[in-house]
Amino acid sequence: MKFAIALFAAPHQPSSRRALRFAQAVIAQGHEIVRLFFYQDGVYNASSAVVSGQDEIDLPSQWREFVDQHQLDGVVCIAAALRRGALNDEEAARYSRTAASVQAPWQLSGLGQLHEANQIADRLICFGGA
Amino acid sequence: MKSLLIINRQAPWSGPGAREALDIALAGGAFDLPIAMLFLDDGALQLMPGQHPQKLQQKDLGANLQALPMFGVDSLYVSARSLAERGMPQTSLTLPAEVLDDTALRALIERYDQVVTI
Amino acid sequence: MPTLHVLSDSPFTDASLSSCLRLLNEDDGLLLCGDAVYALLADTPQLQALELIPDSIQLYALEEDVQARSIDAPACAQVIDYPEFVRLSLKFAKVNSWL
Repeated sequence: MKFAIALFAAPHQPSSRRALRFAQAVIAQGHEIVRLFFYQDGVYNASSAVVSGQDEIDLPSQWREFVDQHQLDGVVCIAAALRRGALNDEEAARYSRTAASVQAPWQLSGLGQLHEANQIADRLICFGGA
Repeated sequence: MKSLLIINRQAPWSGPGAREALDIALAGGAFDLPIAMLFLDDGALQLMPGQHPQKLQQKDLGANLQALPMFGVDSLYVSARSLAERGMPQTSLTLPAEVLDDTALRALIERYDQVVTI
Repeated sequence: MPTLHVLSDSPFTDASLSSCLRLLNEDDGLLLCGDAVYALLADTPQLQALELIPDSIQLYALEEDVQARSIDAPACAQVIDYPEFVRLSLKFAKVNSWL
């Protein structure tokens, strides 16, 4: 079966970890993840600027490794990301900002990607809140 | 095409939540997808007339909500209970949203292919 | 189309549990995770409300959240892990997450 997974909460929120554990279980059962979509505070999960304590869970790194390992399509909502200062090189240059914190495998794109993923997938599962 | 019901529980001025829920609906409408929005709990407060967002230096969410029908999102609903709990009369809402009781809301949720509550 | 509703906010600070309970259809499911599992605390109006939902509506709770919070899951709730969460999401026609 095909899953689309959308994450609406920041990496320090428990729902980010919950979304990752769910996504790992989806893959472990042999299903496909057609797209990960990060929206609202979920965009922070794509930031390479997050520094976690040595004895703390590092969700942005775990998400990046997960996407790399399984060659997934990881899309970050561009409007939500700009609003929260999570830019890639192109957007940093466009708005004359000194820091870019979103790199591959993440791509910035529009909300149409969320709708497209919902249409392609058998299930859209959203994670957010506490 | 899969239909999508967005249940909007966001108070209008508590952060970007209301605007970002609306953006999902507008983006879906722009792609001609069958989208509906239900205002539930504090989401009903978005339909209160006479709000002055400029007092908070906010963009006019109400004006953006008016864009929903223009984007083809004209299936708009609001919970009768949420309105009553907040003392809001059903007759003076800023959107032509259909007022539904809990029984009708259950049928609405049942009908849509996908539901997300924001 | 039966819906699996997923709650994660505390029922003591957010109205999502009471709103969700009013909107459940026959054959829907309700999964509590995160702080929403506090609805399973004994001797609370929240647990009483959950015990009153019809038998046709299955109640689930995410194992790690129950265990982390030292909650004894009552008989009305089936405790599940992530692989079961995935299977549940396919068993129901759709998943409505209360974000």
